[in-house]
Amino acid sequence: MIEIRDLRKVLNGKAVLDGVDLDIHEGMSLVIMGPSGTGKSVLLKHIVGLFDPDRGEILVEGMSVPRAGGKEIKEIRSKISYVFQNAALFDSLTAGQNIQLGLPEEHCRRVPALDDPLVREAIEHVNLGHEVLRLMPAELSGGMQKRVAIARAIVGKQKYILYDEPTTGLDPVNANVINRLIARLQGEIGATSIIVTHDVESAFYLGDRIVLLANGRVQASGSPDELRESRDPIVQDFLHPKLETEEFDG
Amino acid sequence: MSGWLAGIGGAVMTGARHVGRAGILAAATFGAVLRPREYRREAFVQAKKIGIDSLPLVLLVAALSGSILAQQSGYQFTEIPLWVVGNTVAAGMLTELAPLLSAIIMAGRVGSGIGAELGTMKVTNQIDALRTLGRDPVTELVAPRVVAGAVMMLPIVIFANIVGIWSGWLSAIALLPMTTHEYVYGVQNYYHAASLIFSLVKGFFFGITITFTACYVGLQAEGGAAGVGRTATNAVVSIIVLIMMLDVFLAPLYKAFQ
Repeated sequence: MIEIRDLRKVLNGKAVLDGVDLDIHEGMSLVIMGPSGTGKSVLLKHIVGLFDPDRGEILVEGMSVPRAGGKEIKEIRSKISYVFQNAALFDSLTAGQNIQLGLPEEHCRRVPALDDPLVREAIEHVNLGHEVLRLMPAELSGGMQKRVAIARAIVGKQKYILYDEPTTGLDPVNANVINRLIARLQGEIGATSIIVTHDVESAFYLGDRIVLLANGRVQASGSPDELRESRDPIVQDFLHPKLETEEFDG
Repeated sequence: MSGWLAGIGGAVMTGARHVGRAGILAAATFGAVLRPREYRREAFVQAKKIGIDSLPLVLLVAALSGSILAQQSGYQFTEIPLWVVGNTVAAGMLTELAPLLSAIIMAGRVGSGIGAELGTMKVTNQIDALRTLGRDPVTELVAPRVVAGAVMMLPIVIFANIVGIWSGWLSAIALLPMTTHEYVYGVQNYYHAASLIFSLVKGFFFGITITFTACYVGLQAEGGAAGVGRTATNAVVSIIVLIMMLDVFLAPLYKAFQ
């Protein structure tokens, strides 16, 4: 379980997160959505200790992330994998070597990535062929890069998978492929997924529970149906954005 | 006036912040360097990139500088024996030109490359990805580059010395009224083991300065492609300034141990 208590973070003079409380139970698929700049990615980065909070606490299975030393943070990170918005594959490594980075260092030294059965299993999970393992990231399309990044996230069979805007920058067809892949993996590997997105359609497709962040706080939280029926104007504005048009005289 | 003072205060604060961050990175790098098993493979890859791939350019510049030194000293020393040309070329190459010019070439070629590479990794979240994968960016990225830079500068400086003195000889016998015997006598007259050791010590510290500074500047990168461009420029400028400062401090050291 991941517990977030009264989390506050100020960036460039603005309180991006201002008293966020959240419980993330094992096995659930939690979607965090909200307009751009509301601290969704910042919240994810706090969970893996990439950011230190100005106030508050983050507990991963009872271990405090902000107070974790070198050894503890390594243990916390061994339970979590992170899919970055831009895939963040290493340019100098093949797709296979990138995926293998999700496994312990000792294992990587012993087994070449191309022959690694765990790497081969992971690439199959994301519906890519073994021939992709030899390719460099620059030779892959945006959608394939995302899938390789997801393969890297699942290869180590971590308990928690954090997805930061997994469909951003993809065309609708590829975005749909990635959404279905995340949903299928959630069923197959049973990990706890935390998905950050501002795409309402993806959020309702993927989430068991949806949290809407606004003004640095949890504005609304509940099942997809509960959110749909919410009368909160901020929730309704986000779910049904109105296009404002200007009228011109003459 | 107050704006001027605020500007100076801001610059001092920025400088102090960089010194503090660089100090923390230096301590982490020192700790990582002591665990060679963890970065050995990457260090060999970097040694090829930093050392072997830079060698042709470094040797070309060493050959040109040796030739210029021989010609200029030959044209200036009209009242004294010409074997002094060999002496001047050996002294110039060993104490200054071989390590310093090699370092400046390396700053442009290797420093900008490392700065841009690590800068790109930083702005595309690859450094954060390394951390989330339980890897230490200092062990994976900084330590192998610093070790490769320090080690590979030694053969680079040795070859630069040999090529510089050899090209000086070629220019001397081709363009000046002097013989091989006179040139070799001049070189032998200057040469002593301390000068070669000094040359290598300089090369070693320059190698560390080039790679460490490039890594530090690269890891500070922010803001997309423009940020990476600025990082590459900042890396080269910072390295050249630091190398020149280090050279100023190392010169009296040589005098003391001579």
